[in-house]
Amino acid sequence: METVLSIRNLTKDFGRLRAVNNLNLEVKPGQVFGMLGPNGSGKTTTLGMLMGVTNPSAGEFLWFGEKPTHQLRKKIGAVLEHPIFYPYLSGQLNLELNAMIKECPPENIPKVLDLVELTERKDDKYKTYSLGMKQRLAIASALLNDPTVLILDEPTNGLDPMGIAEIRDIIKKIAANGKTIILASHLLDEVQKVCTHFAVLKKGTMVHTGPVDDVGKGAETVEVFADVANLNEILLAFKGTSGINRDNGLFHVSLRDGFRSQDLNKFLFEKGVAASHIVTKKKSLEKQFLEILAEADPKL
Amino acid sequence: MLHLLKIDLKKLTNYRTFWVVCGLYFITLAFVTASGMEFLKLLARMIEGFGQEININRIPLYHFPDVWLNLIWFCGCFKVVLAIMVVISVTNEFSYRTLRQNIIDGLSRSQFLWSKILTNVLLSLMSVAMIFVIGLVTGLIYSPSILYSNIFTDTEFFIAYFLEVFFFLSYALMISVLIQRSGLTIILLLLSQMIEWIITANIDDQLPWIEHFFPMKSIWYLIEFPYQRYAFQEIKDYIDIKLFLIASAWTLIFNYISYLKLKKSDI
Repeated sequence: METVLSIRNLTKDFGRLRAVNNLNLEVKPGQVFGMLGPNGSGKTTTLGMLMGVTNPSAGEFLWFGEKPTHQLRKKIGAVLEHPIFYPYLSGQLNLELNAMIKECPPENIPKVLDLVELTERKDDKYKTYSLGMKQRLAIASALLNDPTVLILDEPTNGLDPMGIAEIRDIIKKIAANGKTIILASHLLDEVQKVCTHFAVLKKGTMVHTGPVDDVGKGAETVEVFADVANLNEILLAFKGTSGINRDNGLFHVSLRDGFRSQDLNKFLFEKGVAASHIVTKKKSLEKQFLEILAEADPKL
Repeated sequence: MLHLLKIDLKKLTNYRTFWVVCGLYFITLAFVTASGMEFLKLLARMIEGFGQEININRIPLYHFPDVWLNLIWFCGCFKVVLAIMVVISVTNEFSYRTLRQNIIDGLSRSQFLWSKILTNVLLSLMSVAMIFVIGLVTGLIYSPSILYSNIFTDTEFFIAYFLEVFFFLSYALMISVLIQRSGLTIILLLLSQMIEWIITANIDDQLPWIEHFFPMKSIWYLIEFPYQRYAFQEIKDYIDIKLFLIASAWTLIFNYISYLKLKKSDI
């Protein structure tokens, strides 16, 4: 199994609107793949096509190197947009129904309920659940068939910080088991924390793809503070400095290529200045994301 | 196949509305059909001279084999209750968006449709069984003499009755899939017979033969109003094969349209 998912020239038109434009993508086993993009950039439409609910206008995709069928979908756990269940059924009955659809043994139900910590509420009707519990039940349902691939679309949407942390822990737990996860989100922080690879969509076109680790590469920024009056001049004198910003009383020093924060620290020490605060700032995904979106001007 | 039926029954049997509607349907059927003689007695008490002119005990409403066609025609009027249940069950799948989740979870679109069609078959069969039991019981009570050959005369109308109910439930399924909203669908369901009536009444003069090809009309003529036989009129006591085929064809067309719609649309 070389690739879990390969997408070729996938396109979807809604009338005159092109929601997804000529998308090409490969997801390898074990990756936690983040799909980033502003609202309305075609993330959910793409996932909808991958899961057979939206008919593609053109292009194709292969799951595990095979043409997609409903049998294949049973091996993929997916939560698109909101959690969807029968409101009048209890959590337990909803999962029993899903187990029937996925043709997997109902013995898996207590296991997944345990994982998402819903065992106590399993006999209450779904409509009485809080949003966080609904999201957790959706993840439980996606995990029911012990899938090799998990698709999550905005899994932390609308949750409180504790709920977000819980879901993130669950995702990490699942990823640690070697499952491939495709995660659509507009929360960059979330993608940076859990994903290994990411792609950025803008107006249906993919404008960037690559490993998350590459994000931090490139020029560094160092946050410096020292209790010296002429700190600004001293920092300017450092030959690795390309620019300085003052923010909140801290100096943000952008370094030229080839210079690292320890070089700056050494330099300061030689000048007889002991920094009381020195932090290396990696470029955040957020910053990179905004840069990518600003650069990209997809021709439709 | 059985697996798909089980899936749909799992959704329905835990749904209180389903039990309420189906309970009302079967209880109403049982009470209304079993109380025909009491109704005649009531008429006799209320309308002066009704009892004298016609001896109500002479009207063989529940005698074999009359009982079959009498009950079958009468119960046909109640099929709309079951059809509304089908509309609720199908439009729920759209409004809860559970159809979408069912597909994501690994049901194919045609499997989803099959699960609904099989439920329609089951509901139709249950209606047939219900009437058979009521007819048998009331027939045994009221028939003055019970002849084995009389009991099993006219039972071919059960096939027509099955077709009538299944036809109508297929129609309900189709308009639910096309409209997807419960309120609007139920209104159209209730009005469709009338709408067709108006259309056929208007083209009747030019093309008299075409009336039988309309869906609701084909069912209407398949099982004709039987009570006029007690006013000394001839009634059709056989199944017209042509009408049977037309009604069957419509049933197939309805389900095929549902299939096409489900296949093509983005859910």
